[in-house]
Amino acid sequence: MATELRAEEPSQSVSLRSRPGRASGFDAPRGGRKLARYVLLLAVAFIVLFPIYTTVIAALKPGDQVLQDPLVPGPFTFDVLGDAWTSGRLGRYIFNSLVVAVIVTVCQIVTSVLAAYAFAMLDFPGRNVLFVVFLATLLVPLEATLVVNLQTVDSLGWLNSYQGLAAPFLATAFGVFLMRQVFLQLPPDLRDAARIDGVGHVGFLRHIAVPLVRPTIGALALFAFLGTWNQYLWPNLVVNEADMNTVQSGLRLLANSSLDQPNLVMAGTVIAAIPVAAALLVFQRQLVRGLTAGAVKG
Amino acid sequence: MTPARLPRRSRSPRLRSRSLRSVALVTAAGVFAVACSSGESVLDSGNNNTDATTTGETTDVPASTADTEVTQPTEPSDPQTADAPTTSAIPTTTVAPLAELPDCPTDALDGADGVVEIVFWHGMTNELETALIALTDEYNTSQDRVVVQLQNQTSYDNVADNYISVSDSSRPVLVQLEESRLRSFADSGAVVPAGACLESSGFDTSAFVPRTLTAYQYEGIQWSMPFNVSNPILYYNRSIFEAAGLDPDDPPVSLDEVRAASQAIVDSGAASVGLVLDSGPGSGGGWFLEQWFGRVDEPYADNGNGRIAPATEVLFNSELGVELTTFLQDMIADGLAMTVGDNPGGQDSFLKLADQTAPGAMTIGTSAALGTVIATLGGGLIPGLTEDDFGTGPMPGPGDEPQVQVGGASLWITDGKSDQETAAAWDYVTFLLQAESQSQWAAATGYVPVRTDALDLDPLATTYADDPRFAVAFDQLLSGGDDDLANAPVLGPQREVRGETSRAMASIFNGEDPQTALDAAKQSSDALIANYNERN
Repeated sequence: MATELRAEEPSQSVSLRSRPGRASGFDAPRGGRKLARYVLLLAVAFIVLFPIYTTVIAALKPGDQVLQDPLVPGPFTFDVLGDAWTSGRLGRYIFNSLVVAVIVTVCQIVTSVLAAYAFAMLDFPGRNVLFVVFLATLLVPLEATLVVNLQTVDSLGWLNSYQGLAAPFLATAFGVFLMRQVFLQLPPDLRDAARIDGVGHVGFLRHIAVPLVRPTIGALALFAFLGTWNQYLWPNLVVNEADMNTVQSGLRLLANSSLDQPNLVMAGTVIAAIPVAAALLVFQRQLVRGLTAGAVKG
Repeated sequence: MTPARLPRRSRSPRLRSRSLRSVALVTAAGVFAVACSSGESVLDSGNNNTDATTTGETTDVPASTADTEVTQPTEPSDPQTADAPTTSAIPTTTVAPLAELPDCPTDALDGADGVVEIVFWHGMTNELETALIALTDEYNTSQDRVVVQLQNQTSYDNVADNYISVSDSSRPVLVQLEESRLRSFADSGAVVPAGACLESSGFDTSAFVPRTLTAYQYEGIQWSMPFNVSNPILYYNRSIFEAAGLDPDDPPVSLDEVRAASQAIVDSGAASVGLVLDSGPGSGGGWFLEQWFGRVDEPYADNGNGRIAPATEVLFNSELGVELTTFLQDMIADGLAMTVGDNPGGQDSFLKLADQTAPGAMTIGTSAALGTVIATLGGGLIPGLTEDDFGTGPMPGPGDEPQVQVGGASLWITDGKSDQETAAAWDYVTFLLQAESQSQWAAATGYVPVRTDALDLDPLATTYADDPRFAVAFDQLLSGGDDDLANAPVLGPQREVRGETSRAMASIFNGEDPQTALDAAKQSSDALIANYNERN
């Protein structure tokens, strides 16, 4: 579900960018093209929103009404959401997801900022080669390293634990790349001035560089958080006992034990999506700004 | 690093990277999105995502334990048929190979100080899980030596995949495995054979249905204990039968009768199709095919279905296989049957019977779905259908008499755990297998009791008397003999072979020539078997 929400982002960033263009009179689309563009956007929006619509509708219907006119909203009841919360043990699973997502987010920020600073500001032999190697890991999908990661976590005795859930995701090439790009944009004079004032690398990073790139760090944090929250495959492999499930793998438990209650499963899905949707709504602007910050030099 | 050098050095890569920046960022964002969406979305939750990554490992287990070959008995004789049917239950004739396998100290609980906690991995969902939890709670409160912790792995395949993918120490002492896993886990060298526990505990199996025990014997050793025994039965909509002028108390048993009934249903317009088929490996594309061969005592694999000696080839492309699949193909071509495809979780075929606009009249499904189907319909989920609207009958197939093999799953004990854990696991197993538990279990789920004395006890006695739909699976199980051919085939890569037949059935349903499709599936299955035999 959140992947779909994320899929909306590019279209929004396009519309955000086209707004100043329209105001200044440049490249304003003519009536026909504008109409076609909106029709296309509406169609895409419909495709994206339709599953969400049916999910929410089903989640709010009583059990014996779910399959009667599944596309028509009502009658509404909020009991199902409560049932899903208790019988699906979603409170426990959401707590687990929060713990893991916070661990991963904090660690990714720390590792990304430190590594990116080194790549952007320090001069050491093999820097560019190393950076390309870093970037290349973006092309290795999670599935390729899955078995090795699982064996490692298993041999450390970390199955069914927060550290097992978080360990493989504490550093990402994406984060390093993102942070390096913004560090490179900091004027070199800043660093020079800091040096003249006797500020070392740690001081410069802490007091000058990090405060300046805060919006990008926010975007990275959001990405890390959402990515971890939505993980499905890894938690399913690492967790074998009910108590340690994250919200996504816990939803599967709920789905498997509620074949006769589709509305309950939908209610669980809605509950699981609420924190992500809320985070997206709150940080949406920052997310777009952070991602496009390095793309177009203003 | 001097201050003078710093700006110059840091400027040049920045200039270069600026031009590439937008391109690289878009690429990176794309890769990130792809990486995130693969296999991690809630929408994938119905799929078995572990498939792709663990299939390779499934075949690894026997390979990695190939050095335990010593434990395999070498006598090629067939100990099961040598026994009288009533006593064949206890594999006492095989003391020699059993002695070389891990022993089962069933009396270790007596010396235990404090409560022994054990973990049981199972794949039971819906009503089945509810019933298992009830039984386990009863066990935990009935005594103070053992506490069993249930851990739901959500499906048979996930139980096995998760079990294989973790190291020995992370495995539970007790695990529920589907019938098709018999040979690969017997070969693994990682389990305590149930036969050892039977021997040391003297557990009385004289009341057991002999076939339920022999089904889990391989090379003369009782490897695991049957717990949830199921077999395929016919589910049908009684009101559609009535509307079509058919007797709702007399469902079709032979293939000709199925065709005639479907013709009457379609002709009368009572439903859009007669029979709903599927090509899933755990149902119409694999398990049922094995069952259809067993029904007429035709071998599915050589060497007595792999029970006299390791199977070297499958035989499902025989005349029977071609005739059977041609029959099903014709049914679909003539509009009398339809397929719901892969049927994950076995749900789609049932849902087709509940279809509001174009329902099917009959489908074949596991008897284990009975409790869940009743609960679902009883809850009023499907408009216009109640729990009394459907009936069950024996699994239709070739031949005139219903006969099935033992399906479902059995309980395996992991080797290498402490004596106390092993003993505790066995104690829990014997609780699940006692007549009272089996009576309760079968009445709640639709599983077949593994022992006949469970029939005399409530709730099962009442259920079988009041609701004949429950007794169908038990009756047709008893009609089969306990010789090798009537027992299910035992293949090392049985799950993979079912994958091959599943693909073949899907293409046959789509119109491919049955002989060609089955020949191709046989060829790839034989290659899988040869590869497995080479490594074990």
